[in-house]
Amino acid sequence: MSQLLLFNVSNGLITGAFYALMALGLSMILNLSGVINFAHGGFLTVGAYFAYELQQRIGFFGALLIAPVLTALIGLVVERLLIRPLYGRDPLYSLLLTFGLAFILVDGVRIIWGPGSPPYEVPQWLTSPLSATYFFLTGYRVFMVVLVVLAVAALFYVLNYTKLGLRIRAGTKDLETLSTLGVNTRILRNLNFGLGIYLAGLAGALAAGFLGLSPGLGTALLMPSFVAIIIGGLGSLLGTLLGGLLIGVAVGLTTVFYPAASEAVIYVMLGVVLVVRPRGLLGEEGRVH
Amino acid sequence: MSLNNGFKLPRRKLLQGGAALAAAQIASPFILTARAADTVKFGWDNPLTGVYAEPGKNELIGAQLAIAQINAKGGILGRQAELVVQDSTSGDAGVAVQVARKMIDQDKVNFLMGNVNSALAIGMAQVANEKGVLMMDPGGHSDTITGATCHWNVFRICNTTQTEANAIAPTLIKDYGKKWYYITPDYAFGHALEAGMVKACAALGGTRIGGDLTPLGTSDYSAYLIKAEAAKPDVLIFLTQGTDMINALKQAVQFGLDKKMHLAGAQQELEALEGLPPEARIGNWVMEWYYNQPNVPHVADFNKLIMAKSGKVPTARTWFGYAGVWSCALAAAGAKSLDAVKMAKALQGMHLPPEIALCPDGAFFRAGQNQLIADLYVGNALHTGKDGPDDLFNVTTVVKGTTVAGTLAETGCKLVWPA
Repeated sequence: MSQLLLFNVSNGLITGAFYALMALGLSMILNLSGVINFAHGGFLTVGAYFAYELQQRIGFFGALLIAPVLTALIGLVVERLLIRPLYGRDPLYSLLLTFGLAFILVDGVRIIWGPGSPPYEVPQWLTSPLSATYFFLTGYRVFMVVLVVLAVAALFYVLNYTKLGLRIRAGTKDLETLSTLGVNTRILRNLNFGLGIYLAGLAGALAAGFLGLSPGLGTALLMPSFVAIIIGGLGSLLGTLLGGLLIGVAVGLTTVFYPAASEAVIYVMLGVVLVVRPRGLLGEEGRVH
Repeated sequence: MSLNNGFKLPRRKLLQGGAALAAAQIASPFILTARAADTVKFGWDNPLTGVYAEPGKNELIGAQLAIAQINAKGGILGRQAELVVQDSTSGDAGVAVQVARKMIDQDKVNFLMGNVNSALAIGMAQVANEKGVLMMDPGGHSDTITGATCHWNVFRICNTTQTEANAIAPTLIKDYGKKWYYITPDYAFGHALEAGMVKACAALGGTRIGGDLTPLGTSDYSAYLIKAEAAKPDVLIFLTQGTDMINALKQAVQFGLDKKMHLAGAQQELEALEGLPPEARIGNWVMEWYYNQPNVPHVADFNKLIMAKSGKVPTARTWFGYAGVWSCALAAAGAKSLDAVKMAKALQGMHLPPEIALCPDGAFFRAGQNQLIADLYVGNALHTGKDGPDDLFNVTTVVKGTTVAGTLAETGCKLVWPA
């Protein structure tokens, strides 16, 4: 039993890292722009199908590199044309817009690539388990975790040690003051949105090899990502990361003891956090209104 | 490192957003085809989106071909046939039932068709029975539909889960072992199929050493597979379907479980095999119809027509849709009426003509149960196509439906006819 627990905790961390990657992008957009991006799952799906298409032309690694960039480019255009006019209005406007956009993206994928699940080829050397005992540690899953760690490290580096990051952080505190100091907040929000969508695209390209392709791929991952943000604490990227990992572990452990509740456990956690610590694990008291 | 900020979005708004997202799952679908007056209408209440979008689409392709052929032959009782198509969703029984009521009450359909998802088919059957409309279930397998909760006006093309289990169990027990572990989708079909497999396995001396119910639409099966590996079964049985089957089987092979135990299941579909990477196309299964039957009359013609229409070979689902619509037309012709009771009586014991049955031993509706009894195809999945890229299944045995369908008494069906 102890081995089973250990396996499921480790496995939960792997799954959680993936939730965290998606939630981080969502959280970035939410923090700076105040947009609850319901289309995030749709962007993830688009990233996955871009990777599928590119993989047949430039190979697996080329696709992994280019697909998130293409997805981010779409994100930049969407922000410029659709989201920007809604800044300053009630958040429900952008919520409704991204809500509709999610349907358009998913149905677009369904129309272009069909409702089925086209096979996504992962290089042979990545598909085998690393050892017979730790069979759930396949090369691809380890590769995915390494890539998530690198992406998160790069994101935290950019946010903490670059001018762009400094401005994004300042913008999340007080966008108006930042604007009066001469920073072009329109471009800042645009780049921040693109960065968030880049993370969705990267999550999609990784999910294609991890979970397989289907038009509903991103939709299924969206709710756990929202929950990760709330559990971690609205406004805290570190909290989001922690929230994602916690959800992964909780699902893994619930599957061992009571599989029927493996989905519900996410929402039970959400309920407990909202009752016991409404600001989330790392959200600062009084920061969320 | 923490990047907390003074973000002003109320949490309540975020939670309201979450609730709205949940509500979107049951958003109303839409009518796809316009309707003409004075036609014989087939209400097509089947998935166009979600986990079962692909099998749903293939059933629709088969149904569309049947409608075209029927109309080319003069229609039904001199009237043109027409499909009224609406998305039932893949997993929301509320939507499927709502669509069924609308089709019967507003669209005045003569036949109700569906559903890939057994739970949705069961809900639709209750509506059809309440309204007295003849319903044809092309591809929802749960036993109760033509078993304990059968109705005089509800007919089915695909097999019961017990029939499928009876067809595959002997091969698995004989060649791979008696200890089975189950990965089962958590809804009516999964429960019924597992019960059928457990019964068929026990009858041959096998045992269920464990299993997990997995939610419909699960994308990550790793936690379940870790449990299955710890149980050390002889055979790991996958009862998932659609994209769930693809995800589960692919991840099992990535974990190398195929080298530790035999991977197999009951129902397999060409749609799922096509979605799998070559290395994950493994195991023993049963198909309910297969396109590569070179010696069976009319199959090649059917294949050609479907290829011309869709660019792909027909699957069992295509045949379900095709045979389903044709069976309704034959019922009307047999009854010389569109009265549901007369048509249902005409279908009792009716044998489908060879160009519709498309299987070596023919197909007929068993009287008193309303269940089509046809051949089943036991075999193994192939990494790559044998006689073409789509030929991904090697049929080792064609099992006569009459030998594995059980007796009428065993099904528990007792039809109650209207006075």
